[in-house]
Amino acid sequence: MVKFYQQKHSYDYSWGTVSYAFLNRYPNPFATHVLSADTVDHRLDEATGKLHITRLLRKTNSIPRWARGIMRGNDAYILEDVIVDREGGVLVSKTRNITHTRLLKVEEKQTLAVDPFDPHRTLCKNETSIVSNIGYGLNSRIENFSLSRFSENLAKSRKGMLYVLDLAQRKGLFRQRLPMEQRLGQQQ
Amino acid sequence: MESIDPKCTKLKHEFDACFTWWYSEKFLKGSKTNDCEQAFRKYQECVKQALKDKGLSKMINDARPSIGSRFDTE
Repeated sequence: MVKFYQQKHSYDYSWGTVSYAFLNRYPNPFATHVLSADTVDHRLDEATGKLHITRLLRKTNSIPRWARGIMRGNDAYILEDVIVDREGGVLVSKTRNITHTRLLKVEEKQTLAVDPFDPHRTLCKNETSIVSNIGYGLNSRIENFSLSRFSENLAKSRKGMLYVLDLAQRKGLFRQRLPMEQRLGQQQ
Repeated sequence: MESIDPKCTKLKHEFDACFTWWYSEKFLKGSKTNDCEQAFRKYQECVKQALKDKGLSKMINDARPSIGSRFDTE
């Protein structure tokens, strides 16, 4: 049975900065489990002006003791699809694991958007769906375990984002508001 | 950050450097040009080969159409 989870929060940084940080979030000290990150596709759609990026991430695979009999300890590969809409001030990232899929399929969608009431803030929504079809009466247990780990992982990735954001801020990036953010900030 | 294959890490870093510059200085400011095309091509060649060597190409191509398929399509 598919399990869903959703969480919303915000960053006190403009969307330009947050989207930049998101696209450059690795490496960071809270993401030591990410071993490699590669851009496998990078395309600017001239008609829509949207940026399409596909990435392949390799992460260490932490398996709970009780699952070790049924799951190999190989590295996990995750595919990420990002669409950046500069005009609309929205970045949407969708990820899915492409290894160990018989055991577990975890899909995640993250939406970063300009706060319509405050252009210095960015709204963030995380949605995830988790399903296991391994059988042996283990589906629910695996789904619940994964779900419980998910909110910890979200907290870690938020820390990672804040770390990268702070760094970007210190480097003096985005001192000025971008024209797009000014325009969107005026739409009340 | 490493590339999937150490052979490609240098090319990855070159592309990443171009990308971070281009994203903040060009893309976010409204430019519609893709200035990192060349750097990307070189890097992508290396990665494609590495994926083939590791036998991952099919797995990735099969997965691509259904990423985020449980969510509403934009």
